[in-house]
Order: sequence, then C-alpha cells, then structure tokens
Amino acid sequence: MTSRVPPNVGDALPALERTITLTDMVAYAGATWDWYRLHFDPEFVAAARVPGPVVDGQVFGALFVELLQDALGPRCFVHELSFTFRNLMFAGETVRCEATVVEVGSDRVRVDLSATILAGEYGPQRPAARPAHATVLLGTADGPGAR
Amino acid sequence: MSLLTDELRALLGTRKVYTAPEPLGAAAGRYFGLAIGDDNPLYSDPEFARAQGLPGVTAPPTLICETNQYANLPMNSDGYAGHSWHLDVPGTRQVRGGNSYTFHRRVRPDDVIIATWEIHDLTEKQTRTGADMLVVSSRATYTNQDGELLAVNEETIILVSLDGAA
Repeated sequence: MTSRVPPNVGDALPALERTITLTDMVAYAGATWDWYRLHFDPEFVAAARVPGPVVDGQVFGALFVELLQDALGPRCFVHELSFTFRNLMFAGETVRCEATVVEVGSDRVRVDLSATILAGEYGPQRPAARPAHATVLLGTADGPGAR
Repeated sequence: MSLLTDELRALLGTRKVYTAPEPLGAAAGRYFGLAIGDDNPLYSDPEFARAQGLPGVTAPPTLICETNQYANLPMNSDGYAGHSWHLDVPGTRQVRGGNSYTFHRRVRPDDVIIATWEIHDLTEKQTRTGADMLVVSSRATYTNQDGELLAVNEETIILVSLDGAA
C-alpha cells in the first residue's frame, strides 16, 4: 500500500468481489456481538421463510470501505458513506462491489458505489445495495476530528 | 389504517444512551478485519499505522456502526444483543432501508464508545403497490469517554403493512 495517483472523474476503481460463506457469517456475528439467529441458524431461517441464512447487510458498508482504501491508499479517510438496501444476500453467494469517481476536489473525491449479488443457487443477479455514495478525504489517514 | 400509532409517535425524540463497559480494544478491530476479509495493516500493524501518521492501529471505520459491544445488553431469544426500538407492530413486516455514516476520526483501541440513539423522524408513505408503510429514521451519535465525536449513523427502518398490497 503506497501513495496513489489522485483519480480523475469517471475513473472506475478496482472492483471487489467476495463470496461470503456461513463460516464468514459466524465470524462476523462474533466480531460484531450480533448473534441474531437469522444469520446462521437453519431452524430460525426456515421459520422466517427465507431461502437461506441472511448476510448482515451492514457488511456491504465494510466492503465499500475496503474497496476505497485499497484503491486510494492508506493515506485516505472515508468521511461519508451511505447505502440503500435492495435485496437480501444468502450464505454462499458472491457480491461484487464497484466504484466510480464522480467528483474530484483539492482534498477529496466523491464516489458512486454499488453492490451486486452475482447469479447463484438463490437466484439471478440482483442489486444488494444501490444507490451508494462515499466522500473520501485524500492525503490524510485520519478524519477532521483527529487530534 | 395508520401505522403511526400513539405508542410509536411517543418514541419521536426519545433517546437511549449506551456506554461501553470497556475500551474497544485492538483485538476487536483486528478480529473484524479478519471476519470481513479485509487485511488492511492499519488494523493490525502498529508500525505501519504510525508510518501513516496514526497513533497506532485503529478499528475498521464501519465497526463502530456495526458492533453491539457498547450496548452491554443480554442476548434475547432470537440471539440479538444490541440496541432496538422494539418496533413490533402487528400486521407489519420490517425491512431495513439503509444507512448513512459520517466518520469524524478513526476509532482507537483505548476509545470507550458512548452511543446515543434517537428517533428523529416518522413518516407515513405507501409502497408502489399501495401498501401502507412507516419510515422510521433514527440517528446514533458515537462519542468517546472524553466527549470526542467519532461517528454518526443515520439508519432507516421501514414497517410495511401486510394488508392492502396489490
């Protein structure tokens, strides 16, 4: 991870694809102190009448940050991030996160993001989170509240 | 029939404040990175983090908005142990609308998280198929033990009536 060349408007940042297994979801449940059974318990999942254990949607935010920091380098700071949920994602499915630079300022960029669930055993390709946006500060690893 | 009951209306402006019983800790950030598959050394390598101008390792930015660590609540029968407004309205289903985060600085291992949740808007709407729905907008403001602002999380939950949909 070294300093990156500032991006230009219209640039697509390298996409991030991640298959989220039930094991990943159990690890995430532990890491977030969130053991809601819809995320891992087959009996609870069947009673909820959903086709499989449901991936916690907030993980899309974490993946967006990973994509942005990997693309823009360690001396950047994700200041604002927003996303709207569209469809449930289930254990074993693969999500593809994409980002396009839409504004470039002297010390920040604004990025449009999307998360798409790829076709698999639970159905065809469908949006997971969209629209989604981020404002990323450049040239600093920390935010305006750091001291 | 309106989904905005007097009971729900009474929640407007109410606050719930949670203070974590201990600092977040370096292990929490490293574990979260491992769980989501993000191997960024900012979460695990103090020397690398210091080379970027940080005081040491920090937590992945969204962890503060995803963790229930600060809530210090018992696990309920569904396995959930976090903040809730208990929006259990008969004849509706809940769906998550989205989140909007503003991060003010990176969260450090010695930060003790204080989360203040507040419902700031309740709006009745209809779905495209004509079903009644209620959009519940709440805000969590995260500070630390010294009153430093860490992050703000605007969250939308939607209650959709099971009756009336085309």
